[in-house]
Amino acid sequence: MDEPIIRLDHISKKLSVKNGGEEIVTKILVDISFDIAQGEFTAITGPSGSGKTTLLYLMGGLDRPDTGRAFLDGQEISAMEEEELAEMRNAKLGFVYQFHFLLPEFSAVENVMMPMLARGRASTGEARRRAAELLSELGLSDRLHNKPNQLSGGQQQRVAIARALANSPKVLLADEPTGNLDSKNAETIYKLFSDLNTRTGQTIVVVTHDEHFASETKRILHILDGQVSSDRQLR
Amino acid sequence: MKINYHLFMIALRQLLNRKRQTFLTLSGISVGVMVLITAVSLMDGLLQSFIQKIVEIAPHVIVSGEKVRPTVPDQLVESHGNTHVTFIKNVSREDQEVIKNYPRIESLIQRDSLVELISPSVSTDVIGMFGTISEPIQLFGIIPALEDGIEKFSKNMISGSLSDLEKTPDGIMLGSSVAKDFTSRVGDRMQIVAPSGQIFSVRVVGIFMTGINDIDDNCYVNLRLGQNIGGFSPDEASNLYIRVNNLSRDGLVARTIEQETNYRAITWEEKAASVVALFKMISGIVYFLVFFVIMVAGFGVANVLITNVLEKVRDIAVMKSLGFKRSEITWIYLIQGIMVALVGATIGCVLGFVLIEIMSSIPMASSSASTIRTDHLMMGKNPMYFVGASIFALIVSMVAAVGPSRSAARVNPVEILRGER
Ligand SMILES: Nc1ncnc2c1ncn2[C@@H]1O[C@H](COP(=O)(O)OP(=O)(O)O)[C@@H](O)[C@H]1O
Ligand SMILES: [Mg+2]
Repeated sequence: MDEPIIRLDHISKKLSVKNGGEEIVTKILVDISFDIAQGEFTAITGPSGSGKTTLLYLMGGLDRPDTGRAFLDGQEISAMEEEELAEMRNAKLGFVYQFHFLLPEFSAVENVMMPMLARGRASTGEARRRAAELLSELGLSDRLHNKPNQLSGGQQQRVAIARALANSPKVLLADEPTGNLDSKNAETIYKLFSDLNTRTGQTIVVVTHDEHFASETKRILHILDGQVSSDRQLR
Repeated sequence: MKINYHLFMIALRQLLNRKRQTFLTLSGISVGVMVLITAVSLMDGLLQSFIQKIVEIAPHVIVSGEKVRPTVPDQLVESHGNTHVTFIKNVSREDQEVIKNYPRIESLIQRDSLVELISPSVSTDVIGMFGTISEPIQLFGIIPALEDGIEKFSKNMISGSLSDLEKTPDGIMLGSSVAKDFTSRVGDRMQIVAPSGQIFSVRVVGIFMTGINDIDDNCYVNLRLGQNIGGFSPDEASNLYIRVNNLSRDGLVARTIEQETNYRAITWEEKAASVVALFKMISGIVYFLVFFVIMVAGFGVANVLITNVLEKVRDIAVMKSLGFKRSEITWIYLIQGIMVALVGATIGCVLGFVLIEIMSSIPMASSSASTIRTDHLMMGKNPMYFVGASIFALIVSMVAAVGPSRSAARVNPVEILRGER
């Protein structure tokens, strides 16, 4: 295999909270190193508060480590300026959160267009065509012009996934994407992720509580108290 | 940077999402712009009509008997050793300053091609008597045809006529205020008590009203009679009134006259300077107050933008995580400020235009029978009012938008997205 798409090199992250005069420092992530190869489908599991979200944000260039280095697609993102990071996120990453975080004033198709329109990357016409295409692939062809509040939870999350895929990202990062869904809708989302991975070779990192979901992936990284406690290759 | 369509869309959707607040803000800007335009128009109209009236009815340059350079004592009367007695000034005739040998001065002035008309006059303070009423009046001796070119009596006669004055050597023309005080009419005979004590009998041949109190308080007789009453010799005049054919050059004309004749010459601007300055000061105060209206409207803009930023902080964080540039986020809110200002200013301009039209058609009881009778309020009309007020509203809105826009651009997505539950 060639160069890993994500490489974390001795990453640590602390959190200092001012409590009165005292400064309380909590270690969130401690000396984490691992690689993720192109085309991998990885689940990150672990108890609540173990540092999974923090880890995902560091991989995605939303946050910066205190020590250690993070690489994405061969570039050191831990050394990038804010604007560089934003451009990198726009071009190479797709995020899905526990909450859909769609813009409420815009229709499904307009929400999916946003990452394409940001930074003047694509024309409105192009963006609209691609957004409609993506939504149709995710089974939402009859919901293109609905506002988020006119969609079910599962549909909202699928629109959010379409938005994350808008700029054909190198890596799709998802933080408990089924955390708010009933089991039937959650099942649809699992299938969608594994289809994406098998069909298009999309690299996916997904944080999940869900044992069943995790078992569908190819690799499980278990986090405990800010450290990788196990790293299992499933397939 | 290129401001793309999507930024306009986001800005517009967010504004429309808060319809009521956006509407109130728009109203604030509109009213501010409307009031500013109307106030400027009103003040400008007042000043313009004032100036127009002066220019229409007042001499452009007034030459008086005052000497520019004091007369050099030139008549040595007696000398006794170290004591010299000189004759400086003849104070016998109430120390009046007169223009001596005015026809010669006139021909000197007439050489200036800018001079259109010269009207000589004498003025005397006299007592007028009619029946049981007696009152001090200022009496002018004029050559009616010439003075008419300056003061436009023939257009302002409310009874009698100017030509009757020309034809009647002992005729007198009364200003409307004087006629009202004396309750005298055309054809009446009245008496004039000269400063010398001599009494002259005159006949009322006309009554005029210009609408300017200073003029309507005066009375006019023929120059010859005026000179007799005031004790002037036939080649003396108190003033020469001059109209020029190029108003912007009246200063030049006045200075030339002073240099060539040594008599003081002042322009209408110099004479009206204090009134114009007062007008300008009042306008300044009015504008200052109106600026506050727009400032308050600016607070409205800041308010709607701050609310939008605070309420949309999650969406801003999401957009930033999607890779929107800082400048794009900034523009979304600047655009909101600009949109509100442009729409508000446009509505304000329309309202201002309508209000000016309405105000300028309000009938006003005319106080004069003047050529420039204002039977309605005179409003200034100038496209610059609209441009200026709109630009001002735009600047205020932009300034108001800067703070909210910057704080939007500073949103840290991690903090917000983590906190959202
Ligand atoms: N901004 C923050 N303020 C307070 N505590 C935080 C903050 N960010 C992270 N933490 C703490 O860091 C730890 C790891 O958080 P997180 O990465 O969200 O864990 P997970 O996603 O596994 O639940 C938790 O104990 C959490 O309370
Ligand atoms: Mg989490």
